[in-house]
Amino acid sequence: MSSTTTSSTTSGSAIGTTPVFSVEGLWKVFGPKADRVPADPELAALAPAELRTRTGCTAAVRDVSFDVRKGEVFVVMGLSGSGKSTLVRCLTRLIEPTAGTIAIDGEDVRAMDRTRLRELRRHRAAMVFQHFGLLPHRTVLDNVAYGLEIQGLGKAERRARAAEVVAKVGLEGMEHRRPSQLSGGQRQRVGLARALAVDPEVLLFDEPFSALDPLIRRDMQEEVIRLHREEGRTMVFITHDLSEALKLGDRIALMRDGAVVQLGTPEEIVGSPADDYVREFVRDVPREQVMTVRTAMRAGDCGGPGHPGALAPDEVVADAIRVVARSGAAACVVEDGRCLGVVDHERLLGVVAGTEPHKEAV
Amino acid sequence: MATLTATAPRTIPGALKQPAVRKLLLLALVAAILVPLANARWASGAWPDALTVDLSEPLARTSDWIIDNRDSHPLFLYFFGHISNAVVLSVRAVYLVLLAAGWAGVTAIAALVAWRVAGVRLALGTAAGFLTCGLLGMWIPTMQTLALMVVAVLASAVVGALLGLAAGLSDRMDRALRPVLDTMQVLPAFAYLLPVVLVFGIGVPAAVLATVVYAAPPMARLTALGLRGADKEVLEAVESLGSTARQRLLTARIPLARKELLLGLNQTIMMALSMAVIASVIGAGGLGDRVYQALASVDVGAALAAGIPIVLLAVVLDRVTAAAGERLGTERKSPVHWAYALAAAVAIAVAGRLAGRLDWPEAWSLNIADPVNRAVDWMTAHLYSGVPVVGGTAEWAGHFTTWVLDPVRDGLQWLPWWSVLLIVAALAWLIGTWHTALTAVLAMAAIGVLGVWQPSLDTLSQVLAAVAVTLVLGFATGIAAARSDRFERALRPVLDVFQTMPQFVYLIPVVALFGVGRAPAVAAAVVYALPAVVRITTQGLRQVDPAALESARSLGATSAQQLRQVQLPLARRSLLLAVNQGVVLVLAVVIIGGLVGGGALGYDVVFGLAQGDLATGLVAGAAIVCLGLMLDRVTQPTERRTKKGA
Repeated sequence: MSSTTTSSTTSGSAIGTTPVFSVEGLWKVFGPKADRVPADPELAALAPAELRTRTGCTAAVRDVSFDVRKGEVFVVMGLSGSGKSTLVRCLTRLIEPTAGTIAIDGEDVRAMDRTRLRELRRHRAAMVFQHFGLLPHRTVLDNVAYGLEIQGLGKAERRARAAEVVAKVGLEGMEHRRPSQLSGGQRQRVGLARALAVDPEVLLFDEPFSALDPLIRRDMQEEVIRLHREEGRTMVFITHDLSEALKLGDRIALMRDGAVVQLGTPEEIVGSPADDYVREFVRDVPREQVMTVRTAMRAGDCGGPGHPGALAPDEVVADAIRVVARSGAAACVVEDGRCLGVVDHERLLGVVAGTEPHKEAV
Repeated sequence: MATLTATAPRTIPGALKQPAVRKLLLLALVAAILVPLANARWASGAWPDALTVDLSEPLARTSDWIIDNRDSHPLFLYFFGHISNAVVLSVRAVYLVLLAAGWAGVTAIAALVAWRVAGVRLALGTAAGFLTCGLLGMWIPTMQTLALMVVAVLASAVVGALLGLAAGLSDRMDRALRPVLDTMQVLPAFAYLLPVVLVFGIGVPAAVLATVVYAAPPMARLTALGLRGADKEVLEAVESLGSTARQRLLTARIPLARKELLLGLNQTIMMALSMAVIASVIGAGGLGDRVYQALASVDVGAALAAGIPIVLLAVVLDRVTAAAGERLGTERKSPVHWAYALAAAVAIAVAGRLAGRLDWPEAWSLNIADPVNRAVDWMTAHLYSGVPVVGGTAEWAGHFTTWVLDPVRDGLQWLPWWSVLLIVAALAWLIGTWHTALTAVLAMAAIGVLGVWQPSLDTLSQVLAAVAVTLVLGFATGIAAARSDRFERALRPVLDVFQTMPQFVYLIPVVALFGVGRAPAVAAAVVYALPAVVRITTQGLRQVDPAALESARSLGATSAQQLRQVQLPLARRSLLLAVNQGVVLVLAVVIIGGLVGGGALGYDVVFGLAQGDLATGLVAGAAIVCLGLMLDRVTQPTERRTKKGA
């Protein structure tokens, strides 16, 4: 029912193909007798306001399907009330889904019993929260070690491991402070460290930086990018901030009223919006920062031997502009020593102006 | 009924659109039908005899049966008997330990505990407090009260924490417990005395159990509040890490509720002290008993000598537990320091023992009773009456009685019984909901059914007079404090001390000033309720949205206009809460005023206890419960109050 567009291209290099999370037809309906809503095709097709008046129910997540691939940063993005936070809580059943399937590494999450589910939460998926969710009566070190304590690890061992993680997120020397003595950014580093300490397969972030100042938010985004580069851990990242989504996401699922409106790489979302809602959403995005030269180039071999400029196809248009402006001539797009196409002033300006021929979404 | 008024036709005139007017009209309609019927059937000013049920006969039989069977019936032998014995044994044990530690040991231990949990200044204060108790020659009664307190507080804290845990974890339990606990909070302490006396007889077990019943509710409420109020996201984070329910409770929910738990403990201790003193009426012994005996013979000096240790004990206990709560989580206390502190305390205790100075040395006692009594005699001679221009205190009391108390009482008793019910219904419905109105009317009717209509109206007249005085003084002071930071700062320590003092203590100075009678009972009630009213008023006015005030100021409102048009209307909820608290607190002390000649219901309870006439006492106690319920419901704003002011 949603006009979901799935990308066929993969971006990034370290990303495999086995899905870590596989979500299929997921529903979360709040309200009396919630079960009947997904089951009844007529009710399922209703608009949110109508559904509320007819049944008194609210569908926070409507028929959502996606795969999270190993090693990618999968961003779920939407305005407040779009159901993204509910969605991420359904993944580890902090909120019990109403219908649909969730699988982690092929194992059915909804069929898990309590012990198995606890195992999942303890070892496989750890979450970072918007308001940090730290225990105010514990020191930084004990907060970070908390997940390990829950697992039943001895005091010395868990503290040693926690100390390592604390150092990794840049909080050395603050081990014995309490959360109340830290700044917002530092608190979220503790939240991040607590999630990292259990060495999970997937990190789930629920709008982790929305409560932070813009400058600190940028630092924390850099921190996440650095961690991802160093460890290649799979991440599911919830945000309402489009620039954050574009900056961090390998792929983005854009949600509206509980449904996924479009799912694709940042470039696909910005370059070929699925509908007017998405188009309106991405209107003010600086396109040259998102679109790659692969999209901007005029395909075909340049013919010459020198390949002037020699841009990689994944480079963003802003970089290409710098190269072209410096040399004053068109530049080649080169991959594996082969020329894929050429970008010139006209093509690059077209991207900035948003008038380049749209690549149709598949 | 509410739906009836809500669906009234749209074309009604403007005045009818106001809910208050609609409620009153509906009530008038109901009254127009019912009153002639009732009047025709039972025409009388007071509650009609035909509608009363005489409970004294069955109650007397019950009490006789209990007295006869106390030593033989299995229920007493195997249940109440064991409880009673356990209480006696533990109080005795604690008392012996306190005596064995000697005055030096007890003072040292108390001071060191205060030092560890609350800092040096409070430790010095604690030591000074205990030494003063000794100095006043009250060491033994202080230890008796302390022993009773230790046992009662421990039991209350355990019972309260368990109930709170149940209510915090189970929604159903919470729904069942909350109205009970809320109601228990508004009942005067005196109402708790008789049922326990009925079961346990007069003595230490009854005193301890009455104290536990009175002091456990705040612990239960605050425990449940703490467990329920925990940050949802923290709990979610803890769950997301795969914790079990037990781990969640032990590592997150209980630690997160520590502030509330300690506040609960603080309130429990204060209420336990208040009750342990009042329970001297049913055989608690200790300081309260000294005050009680002294008041009975109007020996103000002796009452003061026992009253000062009570106040000191209250202030010390309150400040130390409150400071412990505030210092939570700010620093880690090393166990080594505790060990040092303990060793030092033991050393002092042993030293005191070896020196053979276990009892407070006679020579160090300061007899304040005689000088105080001389001062009181002087006051009686010079201030009671005949002071030029202002008149004497006894004259004031007399005038207050003849000009205010008597007319109010006579007026109430002159009113036809159904009109009293109507007034109650109208007030309760206007301020609250039809639920509260119904409860209030039923409670008032129950008083009539119990056959204590006249004395209850007597008590009610004292309450109304005291509440009126309290509100006038309280609102004036509260408004002044809200407008002047300087005044509020000066006022705060005074309010702090006044709010920690047990109800009983207030009787001492008023007896000194006004002698005995209804006026001193009212005066004590006013003094007791005033701090809470002032505090709530000030807080309410200060919490008014600064933006609203600023916009009024920017429009050029004078400060009187700001107060009248912005602050007071916006603080309406707080003001109503202040009224509610004022009424509840005033009632508690007006009842205790039965001990100093307040008469009415309080006197019935005391009389019942003193004469062993439990039936009279129990009926009066039930009427007190009903009166408390009625007064609370009538003044109850739509939302529940947070906590008792004392």
